[in-house]
Amino acid sequence: MAKTIKMKRRNLFSWILLTPSLLFMGIFLILPFLLLLVLSFRDVDGMMTMLPTYSLAQYKEVFTSDIYLRTISSTLWVALLTTAICLVMAYPAAYLLVRSPSKGVRTLFYILLVSPLLTSVVIRTFAWIVILAQNGLVNEVLLKLHIISQPLSLLWNMNAVIIAYVQVMLPFAVLPIATSLGEITPNLRQASMSLGAGRLRTFLKVTLPLTIPGMISGSVIVFSLAAGSYITPLLVGGRLQPLLPLSIYQQVMQISNLPLGAAMSLTLLVFVAIVVAVLGWILKRWEGRMNG
Amino acid sequence: MSNITIRQVSRQFGANTALKQVDLEVREGEFFSLLGPSGCGKTTLLNIIAGFLEPSTGEVLIGGREVTDLPPYKRDIGMVFQNYALFPHLSVFENVAYGLKIRKLPKAEIRKRVEESLASVRLEEFAKRMPHQLSGGQQQRVAIARALAIQPRVLLLDEPLSNLDAKLRKEMQTELRSLQQSVGITTVLVTHDQEEALTLSDRIGILGNGELQQLGSPMEVYRRPANRFVAEFIGQVNLFEARKAPSGGEVPAGTISYLTDKYRLSSEQPLALIAAGIPELEGKESVLFMLRPERVQLSLERNLQETNQAELCVTDVSYAGNSLRIAGTLPGGGELIVQAPDPSFSVLPEPGQIFYARWAPEDLIPLV
Repeated sequence: MAKTIKMKRRNLFSWILLTPSLLFMGIFLILPFLLLLVLSFRDVDGMMTMLPTYSLAQYKEVFTSDIYLRTISSTLWVALLTTAICLVMAYPAAYLLVRSPSKGVRTLFYILLVSPLLTSVVIRTFAWIVILAQNGLVNEVLLKLHIISQPLSLLWNMNAVIIAYVQVMLPFAVLPIATSLGEITPNLRQASMSLGAGRLRTFLKVTLPLTIPGMISGSVIVFSLAAGSYITPLLVGGRLQPLLPLSIYQQVMQISNLPLGAAMSLTLLVFVAIVVAVLGWILKRWEGRMNG
Repeated sequence: MSNITIRQVSRQFGANTALKQVDLEVREGEFFSLLGPSGCGKTTLLNIIAGFLEPSTGEVLIGGREVTDLPPYKRDIGMVFQNYALFPHLSVFENVAYGLKIRKLPKAEIRKRVEESLASVRLEEFAKRMPHQLSGGQQQRVAIARALAIQPRVLLLDEPLSNLDAKLRKEMQTELRSLQQSVGITTVLVTHDQEEALTLSDRIGILGNGELQQLGSPMEVYRRPANRFVAEFIGQVNLFEARKAPSGGEVPAGTISYLTDKYRLSSEQPLALIAAGIPELEGKESVLFMLRPERVQLSLERNLQETNQAELCVTDVSYAGNSLRIAGTLPGGGELIVQAPDPSFSVLPEPGQIFYARWAPEDLIPLV
């Protein structure tokens, strides 16, 4: 009897501790999400005034308009490409981070890796404008070297968006991969080599498979960020790029079609959620196989 | 099957010398143990044989072929690690097949060899399991099967049993030894467990401070340790620093009398040690003698016929099941450790009790 009272008390205590964060999440995440959901079913008239009726009209528009379908697919494609490039570029960096022999060098690498996160995304993206603009660093150098006679237009296209994305999101891919790499027992590589596998084969058959969890975690972060970013594509790609966050901004702030903006937001959310769920499922399967 | 030759191998880590000019020959087909306390360089030496470390100087030959500059994957070795090092993402079958796939054997041959290897460690039923589904002992058996499946020239074992509990370790020792005998593979075991080295090995190399202290059969290193380091590392010992007694005293024929100052009788006289007159003692003025605790006998009465006898006041008794360890001091100072087989006493001795300890002249082993 006394025990159950004690348990109940302990339970109550945990709930008390959880309350502030639950309240915060409820008010600033769950509630807005529900409002958004309701909003996305509202009808509007020609003047974008909201009507008291509800229908699937907004979703119908999103999924039947060629422009929006193209926007959705290019948003997902850019996010996928960014994720792939980030993974490829993050792997060697993570390797260096984990394998560098001295602790001082390792700390230095960590600082170098994380320090960009200390400045705002806007500033980091502006740097790309300085580098890629008509009279920017790259064009000036190529012109001075007489490799080109006309400045290249490197800015205001999807390539610029991807370049900036990769730079901004690379640390989010490096850190989980480095964690995964660090968890591999060095003996496993030795065992592989003692069985006759060279360095490349050891990497492909042992190291790479064992860092799948890190790669998946990194992919989840990079993909969701890349699919949902607004400022970076706006600054280096321009507001006309076919990317969902830009279209949503346009609907809400310029056209004032709030229900359509809400429907697009939820569409984006669902697509990202599907990708994250699939990756999560793969991760769970893999870890289950290794650790039961 | 091959012998291993270590020639003048040294290894430095920065300013530290882990190995100093070690010369060693592991014979074909023998079970050889590298024994020593932690930090003695035994693992360094094993890693040099495996190729995970390069020696600073010296060379390594496996089967007469110089391999000093070869990477591990070209040395044709089988290795078993303390933490088993099974690939967690591969099944038991795939783990054992790993080295065979690299050797590009035909599929049917791989299947056959994996099944044979698993059968040799009695795990044929477990092929489909993942490593995390196995117990520690089973994991280590898979590691052994994996190392042997590639039919390597030598088998290297890095403290393979020290993660197992005592009972399982004993079982695995027996199994490992019989497996090694049936395969006939040259085997090097690294261990800090002297009992394990004594039970398993044909020969033992004892490493201390980066140097090879002694090389010999288990019986040789236990009964005739080469020096104080070996004597103290393998088993327990009583050590006597002794000087030759001035001649004139009565000494039985064929023996030499020594005096040890740290051990004193009730009369404050130094304890006299009567040692067998073996050639090593000839012309030696001061000698360090070793006396194994199990060679000392205790009795309640003074025995008039015996040489080497001392009164002993018991200070500590510990009962270990199959034996009894008794520590005591001589009346004038000096501690003596005695080990007696279990049923020697119907009632356990108690601290404060007085016994007479005695031992034969042949049991005083000089450490030269």
